[in-house]
Amino acid sequence: MSGLGKVYGRGETAFAAVKPTTLSVPWGQVIGLLGPNGAGKTTIIKMISGLITPSTGRITLGGHDVARDRSNAVRQIGAVLEGSRNVYWPLSAWENLMYFGRLKGLRGSEIKPRAKRLLTELGLWERRHETVGSFSRGMQQKVAVSAALITDPPIILLDEPTLGLDVEAARTFKDWLAHLASDEGKTILLTTHQLEVAQELSDRIAVIKDGVIIADLPTDELLSRHAENRFEVRVAGQFDGLIHALPEGANAEPDGDETRVRLRDADNDALYAFLAQLRAAGVSLVSVAQAQPSLEEVFIRLIHADDGATRPAEGKEPRT
Amino acid sequence: MTTLSLPTAVRTGAGIGLHTRLAANETSKGLLLAWRRRSMVVVGLLMNAALYLGVNFFIGGGHIVEELMVLTLPALMAVAVAATAAVDGSGGIAEEVNGGTLEQMQMSPASPQSQVLGRIVALAVPGLVMAAVLGVVFTVGFGLDYQPHPSVVVPALLTLVNALGYGLLIIALTVRVVSIGAITHVFNMAIMFFGGMIVPIAMFPDALEAVVRFIPTALGVQVLNTTLAGEPLSTAWSDGTLLWLLVHTVVLTTSGLVLYVVNIRRARRAGGLSPR
Repeated sequence: MSGLGKVYGRGETAFAAVKPTTLSVPWGQVIGLLGPNGAGKTTIIKMISGLITPSTGRITLGGHDVARDRSNAVRQIGAVLEGSRNVYWPLSAWENLMYFGRLKGLRGSEIKPRAKRLLTELGLWERRHETVGSFSRGMQQKVAVSAALITDPPIILLDEPTLGLDVEAARTFKDWLAHLASDEGKTILLTTHQLEVAQELSDRIAVIKDGVIIADLPTDELLSRHAENRFEVRVAGQFDGLIHALPEGANAEPDGDETRVRLRDADNDALYAFLAQLRAAGVSLVSVAQAQPSLEEVFIRLIHADDGATRPAEGKEPRT
Repeated sequence: MTTLSLPTAVRTGAGIGLHTRLAANETSKGLLLAWRRRSMVVVGLLMNAALYLGVNFFIGGGHIVEELMVLTLPALMAVAVAATAAVDGSGGIAEEVNGGTLEQMQMSPASPQSQVLGRIVALAVPGLVMAAVLGVVFTVGFGLDYQPHPSVVVPALLTLVNALGYGLLIIALTVRVVSIGAITHVFNMAIMFFGGMIVPIAMFPDALEAVVRFIPTALGVQVLNTTLAGEPLSTAWSDGTLLWLLVHTVVLTTSGLVLYVVNIRRARRAGGLSPR
């Protein structure tokens, strides 16, 4: 995506849903696009899918320009979009996959083996001739994913794919995505409000707020950048006798034969002071590491860091 | 961005063959969906039959007048095709918009025009089934006197395309106009009345007869009535009805097709393909 932007309306009613944004995703990478409601995530996904015409910029999918070479560009993608069925409920799972395969120009003989494999892997083979409307929400979502993957597209766009799924279905779905990314090398653009899912699956995280990407970094690097002043100290044995030695804001919890101590808002001086106390008490030190915050903590921090104003993206040059 | 060889399933290329297959895919889907809702065809059939009989009974002053029926039955058949294409087509698109499948449909190498043409072919089938059953039942049941000959096929086909062109126009409007349901019913009622299903067009006042030239299927019914009465096609040509029918059909179908493509492009610009 290069200089991609979208403005709805004209004149005084004009609203910039996405401000000119540049983003490049290498093959095989899973990128999590995160942001609050109305930030512009879905608009970006739909512009990539060719469903919304950008006001500015261009999108290239595997070398095919979505605006100029739409026919070939859309064949590079499979998408599961938010808030919609994505597939035909009155048709069976099998009929849906045959339809969506042919929709991308494949022939029946090319679709059938792949449809069989997908439905088998997702546990739907036995019920392939039942109408999708009779399925549970989780199964319907599996059919939607199968339909998106039926042509074996190298790029998969997933907009809130776990929305409305129960815990078990969401877990199955997450495992399936991990399989697609690691075993099949798919390029995946994922939006979700379930940040633990994004953290677990994404190689890279982009955070969007008010139509502007305010962070775009590899997941580990993003978390590391926000890991300052947080340490995790592991010591052997129980810690009961040294509770009084814990600095303010720290907590200790047993973890097997060890005790894990988390120090919050601790600078190096505080860390060394704590370690000195442990040494004086003869406690056996196992490890000291800088603790990483969860993606949720980082996300909240980023979103609220500059309320009312956007700032250049972390990790890249300013892009607005 | 680095490059990567694409999986074999994702092939490039286009051409008439591909677009024909993509249109056929839409037809196949439409027929599957129509089959799932076949009970609606039966309900529509019964309602049309009951309405037609009731109107004829009323106009005939408590009797069925076969001479009147001979002139209005082709209009009933045309209405069955046109109304089914419009109502099912409009409902189908609205359902696809709200279900998100219209968006999925757009992620295809298929052009909007090949997709909507495939869709309209599927929509013709339930309408034609309904028209055929109504035609056979009333003709045989009331012993209606028609003089069919091969040239009847020409106005019959033109009337079919004309009716589907109307359906195409309504489908195109559905992409843009949210409250299309009410508009469709008003249009269908106009076709029913001005298309000669209730009173034969030949009985209309001259001024009204000129106006009905613009009503979908009306000209087709006029030419059908001429040819089914045993007159040659040249009669309809010499009085200008056949020429008007040709022009009307081409304009209606082209307008529907163009409007659909324009509205899809407009919806892409405004984000209007999403569930409403």
